[in-house]
This record gives sequence, structure tokens and C-alpha cells, in this order.
Amino acid sequence: MSWELVAGLETHVELSTKTKIFCSCTTEFGGEPNTHCCPVCVGLPGTLPKLNEKVVEYAVKAGLATNCSIRNISKMDRKNYVYPDLPKAYQISQYDKPLCEGGYVELNSGKKININRIHIEEDAGKLVHQRGDIYIDYNRGGVPLIEIVTEPDFRSMDEVVEYVEKLRLIMKYTGVSDVKMQEGSLRCDVNISVRKQGEKKYGTRTEIKNMNSINFIAKAMEYEFRRQIDVLESGGEIEQETRRYDSGLNITESMRGKEDADDYRYFREPDLVTISISDEQIDRCKKSLPELPQQRLKRFVEVLGLPVDDAELLIKYQKVADYFEEASAGVESPKTVSNYILSQIFRRFSTESEKEEFNISIPPEYLSVLVILAEKKKITSQVARNTLEKMLDEGKTALSFISEEDMQGVDEDDLRRLCQEAVDANEKAAAEYLAGKEKAIGAIIGFIMKYSKGKADAALAAQIVKEIITKEI
Amino acid sequence: MPEKIKKTGKIKYINKLLTDKEISCVELTQKYIDSIKKENGIINAYVNITEETALKTAETVDEKIQRGEKISLLEGIPMSLKDNISTKDVETTCCSKILKGYVPVYDATVWEGLKSQNAVLLGKTNMDEFAMGSSCETSCFGGSLNPHNTDHVAGGSSGGAASAVSGNMAVYGLGSDTGGSVRQPASFCGLVGLKPTYGSVSRYGLIAYASSLDQIGPIAGNVEDTAIIYDAISKYDKRDATSSGSRVKTVDTLNSSIKGMKIGIAEEYFDGAGEDVIASIKKAIEAYESLGAEIVQFKLPSLKYALPVYYILACAEASSNLGRYDGIRYGYRTDNYKDVNDMISRTRSEGFGKEVQRRILLGTYVLSAGYYDAYYKKAQKLRGSIVKSFQDAFTECDVMLTPTVPTTAFETNYTSKDPIETYLTDICTVPVNIAGLPALSIPCGFDNKGLPIGMQIIGKSFDDAKILNAAYKYEQYAKDEIYKELESGVRI
Amino acid sequence: MVGKDDILKIAKLAKLSVDESKIDELTKDMGEIIEFANTINTAVTNVESEDFDEINNIVNAFHQDEIAESYDRELILKNREGGLDGYFFVKRRSEK
Ligand SMILES: [Mg+2]
Ligand SMILES: [Zn+2]
Repeated sequence: MSWELVAGLETHVELSTKTKIFCSCTTEFGGEPNTHCCPVCVGLPGTLPKLNEKVVEYAVKAGLATNCSIRNISKMDRKNYVYPDLPKAYQISQYDKPLCEGGYVELNSGKKININRIHIEEDAGKLVHQRGDIYIDYNRGGVPLIEIVTEPDFRSMDEVVEYVEKLRLIMKYTGVSDVKMQEGSLRCDVNISVRKQGEKKYGTRTEIKNMNSINFIAKAMEYEFRRQIDVLESGGEIEQETRRYDSGLNITESMRGKEDADDYRYFREPDLVTISISDEQIDRCKKSLPELPQQRLKRFVEVLGLPVDDAELLIKYQKVADYFEEASAGVESPKTVSNYILSQIFRRFSTESEKEEFNISIPPEYLSVLVILAEKKKITSQVARNTLEKMLDEGKTALSFISEEDMQGVDEDDLRRLCQEAVDANEKAAAEYLAGKEKAIGAIIGFIMKYSKGKADAALAAQIVKEIITKEI
Repeated sequence: MPEKIKKTGKIKYINKLLTDKEISCVELTQKYIDSIKKENGIINAYVNITEETALKTAETVDEKIQRGEKISLLEGIPMSLKDNISTKDVETTCCSKILKGYVPVYDATVWEGLKSQNAVLLGKTNMDEFAMGSSCETSCFGGSLNPHNTDHVAGGSSGGAASAVSGNMAVYGLGSDTGGSVRQPASFCGLVGLKPTYGSVSRYGLIAYASSLDQIGPIAGNVEDTAIIYDAISKYDKRDATSSGSRVKTVDTLNSSIKGMKIGIAEEYFDGAGEDVIASIKKAIEAYESLGAEIVQFKLPSLKYALPVYYILACAEASSNLGRYDGIRYGYRTDNYKDVNDMISRTRSEGFGKEVQRRILLGTYVLSAGYYDAYYKKAQKLRGSIVKSFQDAFTECDVMLTPTVPTTAFETNYTSKDPIETYLTDICTVPVNIAGLPALSIPCGFDNKGLPIGMQIIGKSFDDAKILNAAYKYEQYAKDEIYKELESGVRI
Repeated sequence: MVGKDDILKIAKLAKLSVDESKIDELTKDMGEIIEFANTINTAVTNVESEDFDEINNIVNAFHQDEIAESYDRELILKNREGGLDGYFFVKRRSEK
């Protein structure tokens, strides 16, 4: 009997508000230590929090984009624990009345990963450990987060990776977060257990904390899955505990056991008041949502006729997908546009963030014109490719590189005429082709290429020539 | 030249002296400073005297007057702040070892407002550590004595604020009231102390004890001064999410007739009150009747649980609010530890006094897993029923009259006694905080030792003006009898 | 009844180190205080009665998402003698 993985995810996403959740300090990443701070976010005695309105708006958006229902009445709670990165000794979070509940994210397979809840809370500061000494920077303290908690619905690492990727895109598309994983703006805790295939009961789970790369999540889960199976197969028991992933050693290790589990003593935050959201506000928020990545993917495939893989690559980068859509306007085959982007243009970018940024020198209309010229066979695909390179280098229009000569004789009507001439001039070859000698057509194409100075589309010419020969019978 | 600054209507009177240039603000301030230097050694009202800045502010006020500019009522009036109200560049300790040396980098909203009107801050006043106590004796600077009789305490937790006014060391003071900490010392020292409606005065900058109960309030020598100060500090503050500000100007209605006003008496408030106290309040009731008020009697059985509810909720919030004193960012840090966790625990154990640690422990206990439902949650439910029973009571009356404290000022060394016994003396004051209502204490007589007795007037939410009105009418009526004994003021 | 162990557990949560010599006295004190708190459990409350929610009826007190200048770091670190290299600093163990 084989083992089955059961996993659930808690994902912390940093919201892209300008200011912190309870004060007006900037949320900008980095900065000299303790320079994005004020008495409120350093928790000086006597200070009081005031909730950022945008945080509520973004959380509601995130909830709606993941099919959650939104609470009309919500509140904030204190989660009490003492740690040097937490200046008030409590995190202001939400306990029993989270803003959003009961949603899902759909995977490509059609499987739904259920979302139990999404709540808002504040981030902690950053500790730097050096030879056991502790240096504390509160710049990140009070940066707004949403925590998205799934049900234990994952049955494979692939599902987890796909979910995180989908979630990342949803956050990005809705503008709720920049989700820069390298800056820690998306971090995951994974709950993981194993059970025998077919078993109904869940096994004892462990929790791996705070991973900020999809790669690490996959590796940590892989390791933890194997480890739990090994323990069980050698007759041991899994201990409910919190573990940390060591990316250097590629192992997970115990941080603390169940008996050391914190008792957070949640209670209502008395310094903040009730959050009340009307149905009208929720509706308005729903209407303001952009097309979500999954819908866009469907449209690219079903309406624009792209292969799923290509469409997925495009929507992965919002700016690329936007560019693609604009460049496809007025074009007959969006797939041609997609091909140019995914092969020729992407070749110029080496990193993910470069693709993300998609800094290119030509506006989408320039690409449209080039594709239309190629579609109308005004230029050959070879010329189009060369022209695109020049356009990208110099940021100029297609027409500034295409000579009169390039444009001649390649328009489809002209090509048809030339093909007829070629067939007429090569009766022998045509007859041979008809007799079954496929290669004989080469002579006719050669004729066409010679007379068009190599500018005709050879493939299209071959197709036309074949039509002419067979029709003539 | 007046001999003394009279107790009644003192702020308006001083304002007139200043505007008429009968006395300069520097002279006035100096007189108060001299008085502090003379009295504070025994009374221990102040834990920090800000002489230099006080005189500097006074100079500014004098210059304004010299230039012929108009000054506001509180401008140039020498006053004090309880040591849990944050003052930029002035040490603010909550009278705890854990905050010794802590100098705020911002002003509490109430102080920011008064400072901008050139209020003359004489210093920071003594209090029970983190406002936890009823006698001022848990202060790390030692207790504050009652100027009426130094064998007795000034009360708490805003003991210093009261003894400073009572001992002629300030015209008024701001204290904070979580379970009676403004009203009780006002009662012990023969003064007026107001606990405003929750939300009418900003808490921003008030170092929290129990956030859902805390409220800053004035202690002054008479009702009019109290009303003037309340009007000045009850402003909406965008930095405090629970702030609503006040809806009226209370000084305008002080002298309104109280004919037909219904004054409620709930018998539960008188259980366990001393004979002298009951007798004085009975006399006050008669006074009200002769002023045309109507007396309504009823029961408030939910009050029985007010004390335990108060201690559970206040301590729960306190255990969380006081978590931040970990020695990392400010305040005391132990100099003997083996790792950061040890540093935090030792700092807290060495920095907090016994009573504070007791309340932190109780608060932690009632919130912890397994006990939450039986204590915290249950107390919240009971809080709801107490709120409800007050709402019901106020359908039958306009204000309620009760003793402020069942007794007069305790003898010194009070806190060394059984903690529960101490908690029980807060019985009359805590229900108001639980329900967020406005209430004040006003002197209404003396016990057989000559110690002042206070009575409490409670109103509905945002009826601060009405209780001040009721108090003012009584004060006018009884001043000859009550106030001649209480006459105080700095000789000028 | 609260015992020593309860007190030690609570003290650990509250980050207070309890002196061995004072544990008995503290346990006794706390026992009395908790017993006093227990009197609320003699009260009959309506099972359906809602939790008390908040002390005033204010809803939606928000701050707008507009940046205000942060404090000078000097002020943030002022009560720790300026910190160390711009950070709050805790040495791994005390010199003693
Ligand atoms: Mg969280
Ligand atoms: Zn801040």
C-alpha cells in the first residue's frame, strides 16, 4: 500500500498599501533599520492603533477573488506572545470573525482547493542574529498582511505548487499585493501529514514554518513527506510539532513540540472598533475586480485560440498578458503575436523578474503592424523576424526597417500569380509531381524563390502550387 | 488684592487676575512652585517637578498679556499631569521601576491640546504603579499623603493629582480613571473629580492599564473648573479609534435649573457604606429635594458582580497591555541574564511591583486556555448585563446618586493588607467604568475625624453636562457648609 | 484550587520569573484572588445572552492610506541610548 500526502497551507501575503496597517509610516521594503517607524509601530507606551481603510478594501478584494463570502461585521483581536520582533507583545490579528470565509481556488484539473478563511493582521519586525547577539529592525513591523488558510485539501506537491502560483497571480491581478517572494511578501506555512492510500482518518501533522519560495516549499514538503513515511514504516509515531526548513541542508528540523505550543490568549482588541461592511460596498468591490487570471486563461484559449501552455505562460506575467492583448487587436491570428512574444521577445530576458517587468522598447501597436504585414504576406516570416530584432534594438516601427523591395511580390495575390507562372513554366515538373514524385515540386518552388528574390513564403507557395497542379487536372 | 485664590470659580478668577495684570503669570507660577517646594516633601504629590519649563511657559503668557493679546481660560493656569500621561521630553514612569528614565518622544493628545494653550505644567503627579491600586502606595516613589490629615492616604490611583490640588500645589490636575482612580482620590481629598463618558476624552498617550475602561479626567477644586477643563479636553481625536469627543459645552448649562430632575438611588450602592458616609448623602438627597429634584428608588442587582467582573476584565487587558515592558526598546533592563528570554523575564520580575505582577498573573490566568470561558467570557457576558441594567435604570431617572467610596481616606500602609479587602473598596466606582458612563465625585461632608466624604453622581453616556449641572447646583446650595472647611488656594 | 504548578505555568506565559522563596505566598494570594473572581460563576446569565461587544457604538474608525513622515531614528532609539548601528540591540547574555 502506498502513502498519501495530506497538506494544508497558511499563506501570508503582504498587501501593497502605501502605509502600515495601524499607522501612517511607509511600507516600502528595505530602508535603513528603524527609519520607517513611529511611536505607534514601535509600540511606545500610550500609543494607539488606527486601522488602514485600504487594508480592509484589499482583503475584501482578495476574498472575493478567491470566492469567499465577506462578513458584514468583523473585528480585530489580540494574539498575545512575547518575542523581541513584536513590540507590543501581541499581534493585532483576527480570531473568530475573519473578514473572509469559505472560498476556493480552482486548479487546472478542475479540483477546488477550499479556503477556510482570510484575515488581516500586522507583520512583525526583523531580527538579525549575530554571534548570539540580537539586532532588531522594526521597519517591517506593522506592514499589513492577509493570512489565507486552506483546508487540508492538497494531495500532492504539484497541487501545492500550482495553488501557490495561482494564488500569487490572483493577488497580483487584483492589485492586492506585489507578491515579490524574494522580498518575503508571500510566505507559506505548510501543515503536512501522511496516511495510507484509501484511509479516511488524517495522520498526525507537523507544521513547517515560514517559507518564501515555491521551490523551498516543494523541497521541504518532499523531505517532510519522506521523513514521516520513514518514521511510520520503522514503527515510530509522528509527533505534532513545528518544524523549520533548512534550505542549505535541504532538511526540516524540529523547532518546538506540542507541549511548548503557545497559548495565545486571544481577546478582542479594545483599542479598535467594529469593522462594518455593507452588501453594497461588497458589490461595488466585486464590480471593481479585474478579469482574474483563471478567466483570462480560459478566454485566451477559448476565444483567442491559444494553446493552454502558451496562454499560461502569458498570464503568468500580467504585463506580458496585457501587452499581448493590446498587440493582438486587429490581428487575425493572436497566436502569431503570442509566438513572437514567447519565443523572440522572451529570449531577451533571462530572469523571472525581467519577464515580470517586461521592459521592451516598442509599444504593442508596433508589434501589431508587424504581425499584420506578415499575415498579409507583405513580408515573409524571415523578414518579419529580422525586422522585429531591429525594432526591439532601436524602439522603432516596422516600416522604418522594411524596404520597398522587402514588400514586393509577396502579397498573397501576387504570390498566386507567380505560382501560376511557375507551374506554367515547369510543366514537366508538375506532371512528375502528379505522377507521385513529391520532390519534383522543388523545381517549381525554386523558380518562385528565384523570381521573388527569396521573399516569397516558401511554405505558402508550396501549398498554392499543389492546389494549382491538382486543380488543373 | 485678594488674600487667597478662592476655591470656587478659581480658573475664571485667576484668568481675570492675569488679564487685569494684578499678578503676572511668572509670579503666580512661582508661588505654586514655592508651595510645592514647601509641601511636597511630606505630601509626595509630585514625582517630577518641571520648574524650568513651567516658568518659561509663564513668561510666554506674560509676553502675550503685555502685547495686549487675549488669553484663553486655561492659559497660564498652573496644573499637573498624572505620571501615566505621556509628555514629550519629560520623564513619564507610571511610577514603576520598569519605566524609570523613560522619556516619551511625543505628547499625549490631552497634553498637546493644553500645551498649545500655554497651560503651565508644574510636574508629573504620583500614582499607584500603572494605576493599579487605591491608595497610591504601590508607587515606586512611595505613597502620597492626604493634605487633610497626613496619617491618611490621598487615595488612588491618581493620588498625587488630588493631593497636589488639595495641598495648594496646583490649580487642577489630570488623572486617569479605570475603576475609580479619579473619583476616589477626589473624594478622599475633598475635591471634584470627573470620569468622563468613555470616548469623550482621547486616550492617545495615556499609558494603558485597561483600554476598554481607562479614561482621562480632571481633578479640581470645584465644579466650574472641572467643567472648563472637561470642555477643553473632550475633543475628537483621529489618533484614538474609540474617540468620539463631546457633544456639548458643559459650562454653558452648569446653572440650569434641576427642577423635576429625577435622581435615582440604588440601594445596592449603600451596602457596606460607613455611617458618616450614608448620613452625608442623605443630607445631600434632602438638598436635592429642596432644589426641586425628584428622588427615585430602585434596585440594581447586577452590581453584585461588578467587582469580580471589573478585576477579571481589567487584569486581562492589563496582562496584554503590560506585555511590552520587556526591556528591549525603553525602560528598565536587568543587568544579569543568560539569554534574551531570561532577560525579558528577569526585567519584568525586577521592574514590576508586587501588585502589578499579581494583576498580570490574574489577567493571564483568566485568558489562558481552559479558563477563558469560565472567567473572561463569562465576565464579558456579565458586563453586558450590567450595561443593560444601567440602561434600564436610566429610563427611570436622569442621574444616579451614590457614595463615591464606602469610607473616607484610608490610613497609611493600607496596601499591606489583604488585596481582596482593598479591591472591595472600589465597589461604588467600578460599575461606571464597566458601562462606560460619566460620573463625578463631589464633596458632601466630613466624617467624625474631619476627613472629607464624597458623593458620586452618575449619568448616561454623553450626559457629562447633566451630571456637572447637578453637581454645580448642589455645590451652590451647600457651599457655605461644605466649602468653608475645604477652602484652599495659594496666597497671592 | 490553584496550585504551585498552575502559578508557574501562568508566570511562564506572562514572562515573569517567580522567585522560589516567594512561590508559596504567591500561590496563596493568587488562590484567594481567583476564588474572588470565581464569584461570577454563581451568577446566572442568560445562556443566549450575547458577549458584550464594545464599550461604544463607533464603527469603521479608519486611517487613510496616505504616508506621513516617519520619526527620526534618533527619536525611535532615544530611550536605548541610540541603539547599535541603527538597531535595537540585545547582547546574547549579560556581562555578569
Ligand atoms: Mg498569522
Ligand atoms: Zn509607524
